[in-house]
Amino acid sequence: MFDNTTKPEALVSKTSKISTRNVQVYYGETHAIKDVNVEIEDKTVTAFIGPSGCGKSTFLRCINRMNDTIESCRVKGDIRIDGEDIYDPKVDPVQLRAKVGMVFQKPNPFPKSIYDNVAYGPRIHGLSRNKAELDGIVERALRRAAIWNEVKDRLQAPGTGLSGGQQQRLCIARAVATEPEVLLMDEPCSALDPIATAQVEELIDELRQQYSVVIVTHSMQQAARVSQRTAFFHLGHLVEFGDTDRIFTSPEDPRTESYITGRIG
Amino acid sequence: MTDTRHMSLLVRDTRTARRNRAETRFRIYGLAAIAIGLTMLVILLVTIVGRGSGAFQQTYLSVPVTLIEAKLDKNGNRDPADLKKVTTFGYGPLLRSAFEQMVDDGTIRTDLPAKKIAGIVSDGAEAQVRDAVLADPSLIGQTVTFEFLASGRVDGYLKGRVSRESIANDKNISAEQLDIVDQLRTAGLLEKRFNLAFITGADASDARPEAAGMGVSMVGSLFMMLVVLVLALPIGVAASIYLEEFAPKNWITDIIEVNISNLAAVPSIVFGILGLAVFINYMHLPNSAPLVGGLVLTLMTLPTIIISTRASLKSVPPSIRDAALGVGASKMQSVFHHVLPLAAPGILTGTIIGLAQALGETAPLLLIGMVGFIASNGPDSLGEGLLSPNSAMPAQIYEWAKRADPAFYERAWGGIIILLVFLITMNAVAVLLRRRFERRW
Repeated sequence: MFDNTTKPEALVSKTSKISTRNVQVYYGETHAIKDVNVEIEDKTVTAFIGPSGCGKSTFLRCINRMNDTIESCRVKGDIRIDGEDIYDPKVDPVQLRAKVGMVFQKPNPFPKSIYDNVAYGPRIHGLSRNKAELDGIVERALRRAAIWNEVKDRLQAPGTGLSGGQQQRLCIARAVATEPEVLLMDEPCSALDPIATAQVEELIDELRQQYSVVIVTHSMQQAARVSQRTAFFHLGHLVEFGDTDRIFTSPEDPRTESYITGRIG
Repeated sequence: MTDTRHMSLLVRDTRTARRNRAETRFRIYGLAAIAIGLTMLVILLVTIVGRGSGAFQQTYLSVPVTLIEAKLDKNGNRDPADLKKVTTFGYGPLLRSAFEQMVDDGTIRTDLPAKKIAGIVSDGAEAQVRDAVLADPSLIGQTVTFEFLASGRVDGYLKGRVSRESIANDKNISAEQLDIVDQLRTAGLLEKRFNLAFITGADASDARPEAAGMGVSMVGSLFMMLVVLVLALPIGVAASIYLEEFAPKNWITDIIEVNISNLAAVPSIVFGILGLAVFINYMHLPNSAPLVGGLVLTLMTLPTIIISTRASLKSVPPSIRDAALGVGASKMQSVFHHVLPLAAPGILTGTIIGLAQALGETAPLLLIGMVGFIASNGPDSLGEGLLSPNSAMPAQIYEWAKRADPAFYERAWGGIIILLVFLITMNAVAVLLRRRFERRW
């Protein structure tokens, strides 16, 4: 099912950031992810689409080992970032998560000040030597998340007091503040209104300059708008993976076609 | 079957009417239940205040006592060692002559002998004079006006507990003595006043209910609460954090969880006998010591603290944990930086309520000997406070309630008021803390 037929030249030259081989995920007895092979490129937005319960979020959470916190969850197969197996026993998931940032479905700022929300990651990873440096990191992260102008005068105000869209951008700022190489986004706009969604989408496009972004979304329009590569999941299988334009215009698999035309899902 | 489709909305059908009646009945039951509860509460409070408030007032009698040098310091050199040789008993004659003096100058008109007149003051009066003299020997030779506690019967007479009819068979007081009391009262020498000594003082012997106070047992309770707080809070919170955040979920943790809930329901007297067996008989910790009481109450409070702490940890949304883990915090960092601060108000509330429970607990203390007559003054050091025998507030109340003299009965009610004030204060603090620090997310 793995599509590698029609890669445009521009994408071929890009290096593969994350590559997975035969990934299986089990929740207890349930086989949630079956044989997923995927190559995620650097400085690209990759969208995971598919009906609810198809395993796209589960697969996303494998990439920074957030599934470790779920007791019944077992992951088999090979997931490599820059050629390193992230499920190697020598890998500390804490170190991995500093490298692979994550933005969650529901905005979840810490009930602390805006400043402390962004500064938390750099603080625990020791990224700054003094207050001035930390201030710089916070400002850069907030600017990159396109929220600096809205909050620069109230950095000490609680992050939970912001609007939904602002909270989500704050969470993105928090994620980019630790200088990750990969940014995972699990339906980042599902709790946002259309205006906030547009802002976050614009932001995702900018983040592509520096990061490899993987986004799970329920909205096919969103996948079409923000991503360069799209993976379609169905019942735990990766059905089709390829350039977004091609997936949406000439899908190869009948299931993909049914989904994007609205017949299943 | 009736055809409901054509019924008018203005006419109520039987089903609706029945449902409405059922609802009305239920509302009435609910209101009745609340009314019964409130009535009971009011009866309880009125009874406690009505019976106990007397303990906060005490009858005092001012008597000018001439401290005759010939009796107190024969050598006249004010040597403290010599002064101490005069026992409390030796001060009796001074007191009696003070009353004779009052008869002579007409303050008291009676045929009773001085010894009988002196019966209206507390048995502790001589000791009070002696203490004053030892503290300040320069008083010797002067006439000093002392404020003596009136005896328990006289106090009861002023409070309406003792009447001329009720003393017909009472050997402790006679009608003539009550005449004297009336005379002194008219003269303004004998009156009821606020009695701080009830709150700060020590317990007193059976013969002197007028002198008994809660102070010492309050100190005992304080030391026990200190032990409970220092042990139960860290142990309870650590256990909860481990169980809630770190422990794998399997049958072992399930068993532990069930047993913690069971422990919370174990009768407190079981903890008492456990404390007796383990802390006193096996570990040979001192009897009646607040340390042992505190340890027993710690065992009792731990399940309460663990249960409330786990509940507050559970109430922290998982998204906060995800957020912390997502930026690369370790499990422990996510717990201590984010989850614990959010759970803190709930933990504090649970701890305070656990402490309040422990403060009011009597049964286990009876078994480890923290009940009985303790008349010591405040301890000099923390160690002494923890290890020297003491009582606790509820045990003191129990002790008074079982004594024969009705004057102690009044003090038991008074003690309950003090205990309730502590409990209400602690619960109010718990509510305020929760209000103050409750976070929304």
